[in-house]
Amino acid sequence: MAGAEGFVEADNAEAIITRIEHKSRKIETLLKQYKPVEALKTALEGTYAIIGDERCKSAHWLVVHRAIMAIKDVDGMLSSLDPEYYDILMKYLYRGLATGDRPTCDQCLRIHEKLTEKAGLGCILRFLTDTVNTV
Amino acid sequence: MAVTAVHQFAQCITCHAWSADQSTQIVVCGNWKPCAQILFDDEAAKIGAILTSLSHMELSPSVVVALCPNNNEVHIYRLVEDKWEKVYVLQKHDQVISSMDWSARSNRIVTASHDRNSYVWNLEASDWVPTLVILRLNRAALCVQWSPKENKFAVGSGAKTTCICYYEQDNNWWVSKLIRKKHNSSVTSVSWHPDNILLATTSTDGKCRVFSTFIKGVDAKDSKKGTSPDTKFGELIVQLDLSSSWTFGVKWSPSGNTLAYVGHNSMIYFVDDVGPSPLAQNVVFRDLPLRDVLFVSERKVIGVGFDCNPMVFAADERGIWSFVRYLGERKAVSSGSRYGSQLSEAFVKFYGQSKQGLNNDAVETSRTRGTVHENCIKYVYPL
Repeated sequence: MAGAEGFVEADNAEAIITRIEHKSRKIETLLKQYKPVEALKTALEGTYAIIGDERCKSAHWLVVHRAIMAIKDVDGMLSSLDPEYYDILMKYLYRGLATGDRPTCDQCLRIHEKLTEKAGLGCILRFLTDTVNTV
Repeated sequence: MAVTAVHQFAQCITCHAWSADQSTQIVVCGNWKPCAQILFDDEAAKIGAILTSLSHMELSPSVVVALCPNNNEVHIYRLVEDKWEKVYVLQKHDQVISSMDWSARSNRIVTASHDRNSYVWNLEASDWVPTLVILRLNRAALCVQWSPKENKFAVGSGAKTTCICYYEQDNNWWVSKLIRKKHNSSVTSVSWHPDNILLATTSTDGKCRVFSTFIKGVDAKDSKKGTSPDTKFGELIVQLDLSSSWTFGVKWSPSGNTLAYVGHNSMIYFVDDVGPSPLAQNVVFRDLPLRDVLFVSERKVIGVGFDCNPMVFAADERGIWSFVRYLGERKAVSSGSRYGSQLSEAFVKFYGQSKQGLNNDAVETSRTRGTVHENCIKYVYPL
């Protein structure tokens, strides 16, 4: 029985990876059209539905990372980003800061400052306290 | 200007309770540090329909407050000619008193302490006489509340247990009945439903639960109507798993139809139709988490907590809850503030506090948060 369950999960993970790949292509298209904000929205959309195990999380992070790094105008991005995405964006900023990669950290810190101004400390608190829906 | 009176009693107040013989209803906050704040005024009056015009309000000569100045004592103060006079010091606990409640009709104070016991204090002649309540806990008692009929009280504890205590006439003794093995972590707050049977609890395991506390011989059969007839003592009616972090400050609305509690993730939860199919809403806010809430009416809630500034939440006609505003005035912190300035602000605050330890006069200088409260507000009570 345990084997069967494992198989189902793996199957599910494959489906998720496919969806993430699809998302990735969509984002590349948007970036080519110089729509970085649209790309970020697409990247953050429906995150919880498509992150399962660590492999899916890593794959999805690569996609979100691509979109985050393409952002030039942080203020413009935040003003057009729907407030419902603030919490999930904050989670990915911390994931970015955790990588230790210099350009990623620079970019994440830049956005973090503006996002905290906009979304308040509550947004950071929600990242810190959420141990269930990690990204 | 929402605050008309600020009274500093001690450097740090762990809990407080108001004497019940007040005819006015005013929002009052106990502060973790350093002052107790009284919100009196027309602005406060707008908060809820039950807060009638208070602009002419003056402190009645009989205002009495009991508080714990972060030690094992309860100090009772009375306002005499604009000065607070310490009238009683209740000494019996061995450790810090974590919570207390003053019953409105029977005029009794119940205290809960880290020493794992409770005392019920009764005013006999001119002395407060303590009666020990052995809670049978192996961890600190954290919160306490009288039931609406004042024949029971509930204590939440760090032992993952809630105690329901009632008075046994025959033995002249307060008996503690435990609700065990239902919580996975400390019980942070308890709240009685107006029906005197249902009890809501919040816990650091992130859940809010509602229990039946029907005790044979204490609760009459007819008081059970409204709840399902087969509820036994300690039966879990509903478990709300909305928060992924610690939960605090549960309260029922005056009618008992709505339940509100807060999470440590800067969210407040409102639950209607508490029962098999509860309707839950969560409201996200931008500042630091809350610790306690107070219903001023069915559709208005005041939340207090780590942000040092009470927040007002309200429900619209469709019953959708949202953040309305801060109760206190707030400096425009968000506009154009930089981390550098906030950091230096923090330094000023720390230096201010280190001075405070030596000299109480320095208190005025460290108003950095832009409100009357300078530290976390732990409790809010109606006066």
